Amino acid sequence: MTPAPAFVSYEFADRKELCLSLAAQSSRRVMLVPPLFDEMNRMRKMLVDVMRALETLEVGSIMPDLPGTNESLVPLGLVTLTDWQKAVETCAQQHDISHVASFRGSAVTVTNLRQADHWIFSPVKGATILRTMLRTRVAADKESGQATSLAELTAQAGSGPIELAGNILGSRLFTELNAAEIPDFINQRVVRLESDNKPGDGQIPGSALWLRAEPDDDPAMSSAIARDIASWLE
Amino acid sequence: MQNEVELTPEAAVRAVMRDILGLSEEQVSEFKAETELFGALPELDSMAVAGLLTELEDRLDIMIEDDDVDGELFETFGNLVAFAEMKVTE
Repeated sequence: MTPAPAFVSYEFADRKELCLSLAAQSSRRVMLVPPLFDEMNRMRKMLVDVMRALETLEVGSIMPDLPGTNESLVPLGLVTLTDWQKAVETCAQQHDISHVASFRGSAVTVTNLRQADHWIFSPVKGATILRTMLRTRVAADKESGQATSLAELTAQAGSGPIELAGNILGSRLFTELNAAEIPDFINQRVVRLESDNKPGDGQIPGSALWLRAEPDDDPAMSSAIARDIASWLE
Repeated sequence: MQNEVELTPEAAVRAVMRDILGLSEEQVSEFKAETELFGALPELDSMAVAGLLTELEDRLDIMIEDDDVDGELFETFGNLVAFAEMKVTE
């Protein structure tokens, strides 16, 4: 039978935020922190498949919603990167997590967990995520007959909320993300796709699902990620 | 840490197209200079183009400015490869 994840929660800023949880018959557990914005939607199915594959390898996993995303009741426009970092830290504390896997942009949200062991998949800095979203906005503006530029929009986002690719970002979230570099932890394993030539500690087969027009899955990639995480936990 | 391997601009463009369109290695290896892109491939909408530009910047360590981007750039695979080759030598 395919194992079914359950919903659990963590309390942050007087609210409950949901997490998907898949317990396993073992003490080995990992928290998966999902990518940011659209990349989360495009990779969520693949990540839930990672959770299922981890369960078969006797590794329990938990995947929290960041405040303002997915099922969260907090409006995204009120959320800051500092909130995300504290939320991830709080979730890890409340669920007794010492091993954290982050994906793409979520690498910049796990920085409060300096002492944890980190598994990091294809990390990007915050500015890279924003750049794609800004370009989408420039293209949309162009279609409606308005000429905007990356520089203009960046300046605008620094002083007030901005709508980028269907997301309302407050100026603090934008500014913090724009400055957020890829972290470097004491204990970390950086894993990339085989087609990615940047330095890393391991490579897995698969494709960059965050680039797809529609959300998609990749069972082989999910299994490869789960196997890599399971052996890293040993 | 594994050493960084030099990636040719053409290989990078091919890899990114493959990821955007969800193609196999064989399918994307059939892309030729004259293969039509924008308009011919429905998956390649403005959102996908935004992702493509940022991903090329990331993989080839280049910066693509607003002024660099025009309609012609995405007309064919050859145009995109030529553009990437020009940017890495800048």
